[in-house]
Amino acid sequence: MKEIRVSKKASEGIAVGRAFLVERDILVPVEYAVEEVQKEGECKRFKQALLDSAGELRALSEKDEVFAAHLEIVKDETLFDGVCQKIMDEGKNAEKAFWEIMEDYIAVFQSMEDEYMRERAADILDVRNRIMEHLKGRKKSFLSDEGDKVILVAENLYPSDTAFLDNPRVLGFITQKGSMTSHISIMAKNRGVPALVGAEGILEEAKQDDLIILDAGEGRILINPDEGTCRLYREKKRQEALRAEQYLSSLSLPACTKDGRRVKVYGNAGNLEEVKRAVAAGMEGVGLFRSEFLYMEKNHFPTEEEQYLVYREGARLCKEGITIRTLDIGGDKKLPYFSFEEEENPFLGWRAIRISLAMREVFKAQLKAILRAGSEGKVRIMFPMLISLEEWEKAMAVIEECKEELKREGKAYKSHIPVGMMIETPAAVLLAEEFAKKADFFSIGTNDLTQYILAIDRGNKKMASQYDYFHPAVLSAVQMAIQAAHNEGIEAAMCGEMASDERAVPMLLQMGLDEFSIAPSQYPKVKYLIQNSFFHPHE
Amino acid sequence: MVSQKVTIINPSGIHARPAGELAKVAKLCNSEVMLLVKDRALNAKSVLNLMAAAVRCGTEITIQCSGETEKEDLKRIVEAIKSGLGEAGEAYEGNQS
Repeated sequence: MKEIRVSKKASEGIAVGRAFLVERDILVPVEYAVEEVQKEGECKRFKQALLDSAGELRALSEKDEVFAAHLEIVKDETLFDGVCQKIMDEGKNAEKAFWEIMEDYIAVFQSMEDEYMRERAADILDVRNRIMEHLKGRKKSFLSDEGDKVILVAENLYPSDTAFLDNPRVLGFITQKGSMTSHISIMAKNRGVPALVGAEGILEEAKQDDLIILDAGEGRILINPDEGTCRLYREKKRQEALRAEQYLSSLSLPACTKDGRRVKVYGNAGNLEEVKRAVAAGMEGVGLFRSEFLYMEKNHFPTEEEQYLVYREGARLCKEGITIRTLDIGGDKKLPYFSFEEEENPFLGWRAIRISLAMREVFKAQLKAILRAGSEGKVRIMFPMLISLEEWEKAMAVIEECKEELKREGKAYKSHIPVGMMIETPAAVLLAEEFAKKADFFSIGTNDLTQYILAIDRGNKKMASQYDYFHPAVLSAVQMAIQAAHNEGIEAAMCGEMASDERAVPMLLQMGLDEFSIAPSQYPKVKYLIQNSFFHPHE
Repeated sequence: MVSQKVTIINPSGIHARPAGELAKVAKLCNSEVMLLVKDRALNAKSVLNLMAAAVRCGTEITIQCSGETEKEDLKRIVEAIKSGLGEAGEAYEGNQS
């Protein structure tokens, strides 16, 4: 039995199943004839794949010199010329022409006497695969619906891999790289699929079909466990199932404490499908719509119209409305079509509202889409990462400008939309009294707030044990924010991990939190906890 | 056309990294730069050709430049190869052992 400990819990829960290694094999391309008139376009298509690969490699080469050599291969003119010649003279498609040329080179390397040089074929293969991926789009291994239950093991999973999560055979996943805030991690949490990311060594230790116990809550991975351990985990799972049943028993009753205080329990969502999941789970609203996923899944900044359709649908689905957080990128979230400057401290750098205020047109497209959706349902606007009243005023001025433009364009919009803000910086906590006079609501984002208050990078493995939202300073910040909100008669919500932590829920109720915005999979548990807690325990 | 003989000093020969470096230097040259290794002629501006030739440490090769700036270009290439193509430190250790 081998054990791997992981600190990045994407989504809690226990899963026991066989390892399914997700390999990104590049398959031999299909050959097809290219018409005379299309030949030039085919060359251009290949050129684009080279340019895209070069762009990636340029960034990589800053960290690892071997990629500088790969970059030189991509830029090799004889490669481009050779492929174009095959396209023009032989009428082959770009994939096939490119494949043939690379096969020749690989054969040369593999036949070399010198072992060191023979291994260089790996460089060529790596470059070939990269270019091929750009030429064809990313390829993933296929998992049929029939067969044993599996735990996915991959180097990394991408937004396009989310289809895996819908496969009934998939019990959970483990990735060697990746972050807890990546798209796939958040999807896993929303669906209640156990998942660990950043599991170093997993690809070396786990072989195809190995029996794996994934205890995501404890951050443990056991490979080929003995019978005793298996029994232990079967019992643990049984207990979990019993608890889940208990949670479900009072799901249809309102979210009321034992002493009669009613609170809101809303969902977190990153796209419409997740909004539907929240509604299907019984939630009546969405307290955090992470609009950045709309941006991350596209290959361009989504237009006003594209966003409008999504927000409108979201508003229609949610009886009690949807809180749309404006674009929150930067930090660890990047866009495929926009290059961010390398930063020493991305979490302290150009991100969230700072980007929106600097890229006015992008910001306006989003705000106009939200204002328009407001005319057809309940929507709320929420700004992320604010640190000053000046930022607030600037953002509000952009909203006014958007209204003027919509009026001129003759488009329907709602002029009085609640506008609130995330409380996730120490500055926002310290200025909460002032902000509460302006904002219509607060939403405390504990993931970033904890990181900023404690000055601990939430992805840092060595500090993981001290990244703790039960630290008295974080608790005090939460209390301050709620108090400031109530002093001005506005509501305080919480949309971070803490809001669904069973150790935190009773305490947050006593602090007076008005709204819990959580992953839909956590809804039964949080609701049960609320129903069994007190607002004023001693009265 | 001008040419000069030079010996490869990189301990592992012209593998990916030095090949990339050599191609980069060759691309700065206006003239045509060919490497004659045994009975083969390689385009020095193509990193793939350079790598595929698997030129080993200690091999004597001939550099051939032809074009208006051939003299400067030849000098530039010879110097780059003699200085170890970005692997100076490693080449030095290799020679000692």
